[in-house]
Amino acid sequence: MKAFEVVSARDARHAVALLAERAAKAKVKVLAGGTDLMADLKFASSSHAPDVLIDISRAQELRNISVTDEGLSIGALVTHTEIMRSPIVRDLFPALVDAAHTIGAVQTRNLGTLGGNLVTAVPSVDSGPTLVALDAHVTLLGPAGTRSMPLADFFVGPRKTALKPDELLVDIRIPRENLGKPAAFLKFGLRKGQALALVNVAASFWVDWGTPAFVAPRIALGAVAPKVIHATTAEAYLDGRAIDPDAMAEAGRLAVGDAKPINDFRASAEYRRDLIAVLTRRVLEGAFRLAQAKRLEKK
Amino acid sequence: MATVTLTLNGDVRTASVPPETTLLRLLREEFGLTGSKLGCDVGDCGACTVIVDGKSVNSCLMLAVQADGRDVVTIEGLATMSRLHPLQQLFEDKGSLQCGFCGPGVIMSAKALLDENPDPSEQEIRDALAGNLCRCTGYSKMIEAIQAVARDGRGEPAKSAV
Repeated sequence: MKAFEVVSARDARHAVALLAERAAKAKVKVLAGGTDLMADLKFASSSHAPDVLIDISRAQELRNISVTDEGLSIGALVTHTEIMRSPIVRDLFPALVDAAHTIGAVQTRNLGTLGGNLVTAVPSVDSGPTLVALDAHVTLLGPAGTRSMPLADFFVGPRKTALKPDELLVDIRIPRENLGKPAAFLKFGLRKGQALALVNVAASFWVDWGTPAFVAPRIALGAVAPKVIHATTAEAYLDGRAIDPDAMAEAGRLAVGDAKPINDFRASAEYRRDLIAVLTRRVLEGAFRLAQAKRLEKK
Repeated sequence: MATVTLTLNGDVRTASVPPETTLLRLLREEFGLTGSKLGCDVGDCGACTVIVDGKSVNSCLMLAVQADGRDVVTIEGLATMSRLHPLQQLFEDKGSLQCGFCGPGVIMSAKALLDENPDPSEQEIRDALAGNLCRCTGYSKMIEAIQAVARDGRGEPAKSAV
């Protein structure tokens, strides 16, 4: 690795101040869990390698998971292991636990953070689909204060986000109206550990138990477009529709048309299209099973 | 240069290293603890697995300065002069390793698992080893050894010499 300087940030504000101060004169990168960044640095050409790393891994204020008036807030430094073990997350969104469990392996999940996973913004980002399906927003802190935007817009393209060079991702919020919204996540990789997704899919919806029917359905697809996308045609088709196996299968077929999968060394586009249809149907089934279980629990 | 002070296998140790030094290089090159292996160097193979503040991590992905003030346990911290750790003993008894390169990482992953979950299921053991690649023998005999340690309730470090 090329030599670099490491500056430790006490908290988010300190990190933003350091970014403003150092980024004017040098190539700067933010270091959190390091599971992506450190691996990248070992391959980086010296012209691309950073001169300074701002280490935010000791900023304790970014490690919280809490429910506030605004919804569920997950600090950017919360690790994938901490998400899997959080009683709050396990209760409200088991799909987030399932998604975290598919990332890397134990060692990666112990170091890797939710914020880091999102900022890296690979198209197959396993944290992405469930959060997008739950209308999550990200909070970005810059010199002028914070701004918030939908995670779906934060992702711009492969390894590209809306984060400005002087900004830090500080937390991820699922809005209050979606707390407990039934959701499910599935990933298909070539192995259970240490494998990138060929396709990953999440769905969430409320149930109108009168019919029963889909209310506010969301389907998010990963690894089949330059960034995590909503399957908008499939969502529109399900909205208000009666919940039955045919509707779920049709939504899977429609989701295929919403995606733009590519051929690469992991899988063909054709194989990915088949996976989209099957996984979309299965996450819809999974979210409905969860909705039924939650309803029984309440009775 | 950056100064790093950490608790290493129970002893407080200090070193001065360039800031880009990984925890793995600090262990191997400054402290001479070569049990943790440099395999892929990008967090895929798990040969460099050590336990930091109770959690298994890839020491190739952690900077030495990030370990400042933390508690680090490596494979060298398990045995005493006269007695192997139960995991090491059972890996030997069951013939769980062939070339042995992955062994220190596998055993540290298994130790981190048993420290938190003394009675894991086979699936939990497999999940705990998913980040440790073995290309010689496969995983069955490793899993048998870990199950044997768990059954005997011997997941704790060996006490003093017999």
